[in-house]
Amino acid sequence: MEMAYYPGCSLHASSELYDIQCKMVFRNLGIELREIPDWNCCGATAAAKTDDFLAIALPARNLGIADATGLSEIVIPCSSCYSRTLVSQQRLSCDLKLKESINAELGRKVEGNIKVSNILEVLKPRVASGEIAEKARKKLEGLKPACYYGCLLTRFPCDVPVTDDVENPQGMEIICRSLGAEPVDWSYKTDCCGASASVNDAEQSLLLMSRIMKDAEARGANCFVTTCPLCQFNVDAYQEQVAQKYGLGKRLPVYFITELIGIAMGFDAVEMQVDRHFVDAMGLLKELKLI
Amino acid sequence: MSVKTLKYEAKGAQTLLREVMDKSGQNLLACYQCRRCAAGCPVGEETGVTPDRLIRMILLGDRGEALSNLLVWKCVACYTCGTRCPNNIQTARITETLKQMSKKEHLEPLRPRIADFHNAFMKATGHMGRFNEIEGMGIYEAKTALKELKKGNVGAVIDEMMNQAKLGMTMMKKKRMHFKVDKVKNKAEVKALYRKAKPGKGA
Repeated sequence: MEMAYYPGCSLHASSELYDIQCKMVFRNLGIELREIPDWNCCGATAAAKTDDFLAIALPARNLGIADATGLSEIVIPCSSCYSRTLVSQQRLSCDLKLKESINAELGRKVEGNIKVSNILEVLKPRVASGEIAEKARKKLEGLKPACYYGCLLTRFPCDVPVTDDVENPQGMEIICRSLGAEPVDWSYKTDCCGASASVNDAEQSLLLMSRIMKDAEARGANCFVTTCPLCQFNVDAYQEQVAQKYGLGKRLPVYFITELIGIAMGFDAVEMQVDRHFVDAMGLLKELKLI
Repeated sequence: MSVKTLKYEAKGAQTLLREVMDKSGQNLLACYQCRRCAAGCPVGEETGVTPDRLIRMILLGDRGEALSNLLVWKCVACYTCGTRCPNNIQTARITETLKQMSKKEHLEPLRPRIADFHNAFMKATGHMGRFNEIEGMGIYEAKTALKELKKGNVGAVIDEMMNQAKLGMTMMKKKRMHFKVDKVKNKAEVKALYRKAKPGKGA
């Protein structure tokens, strides 16, 4: 089947590895991702903070393009892009005046038909149906991930359907368990890493991340797994700084969910770009004889 | 952190409340100060102002404090407050609204770096239609450096440059740095949306 796909800016830049992995894993599950043409930035948190109109209008242009593909579903792996796009679609469904005003500027108008899905929404039913197990070539034995959801997969600034438990989501745990990994139970799975505060309010962000990292370590996790490129980047790239400032015993690799599924599917780790992490992510896989 | 006493401004209270409620779409009058938002706020300890307190400021009409407090600037938009509010008030929408009001009134941001980052992000996005990390970070760093230099803080500029250079080097090593410019073909359409956002001003 074909599914519309919005990578967003991160997946075209510092988190390109996630883009590559998504395509590999989805293809193996029989889903061809069709990147929507000429998409623009969703505006992320910056638009929400600075301009109410653009916060809705920027994702709206992408929604118009996505509607025009005629496909029924669009998958958005980045939590921030997913959240902003879903919020825009919801807002436009109840503010017809705004919809009209934005559509007046667009070649491809927002219809509001396409279903906006996050990555776990697409993957979870494929655990239940046995499709993921069917494609798995090895069990992820010995892997004890702290499944890190961050903020934007389950919390929204308006009423939209939430696809998992808000305080204790389970999507990644379900996937990890089905692959033979043993996710740990921990308390910081939906806590904020600070997002762009790592750049503009570093002290704050390091403090927030220290709580997340310390709890994962205390619960016996040997890695993190996440779906959000910004969470991945922060917890990975700033782990050393947090360790220096707040003291951490171990450094834990921070995998994307697609990496774990891909490894289980028997994909080559280098082809999946697992060597592009800040905290070494190859070593643990080798140690556990998964690659 | 010490807590400031809020001022009750009988005259301005109604106007401020109306303005924030209209712009944010949130019913601030539904707040009964249960402080579930405060318990969940990840930056509350550092800001000294929690979402419940922010709502109180607005209800009391303390315009000065409401438009210029650390929560407005340091809010990380995690949406925990709104998710836990029993009365469905999205305080994060209120901080977003206050930030925009504060900008409109040309108030000096309490955390200029945060303001500069968001502005740089929007500028870079308006320029190419997509956010290019090098461009966005470039605009942000240049702006921040200039401000620090004007204040004579050469040390701060050097520290920031060293930090960013270190991160940049690691990103290069890990092939996480991206040099190709990513852009939208139909930039005119994105620019039209920017114009509509701010009539009279280009992207």
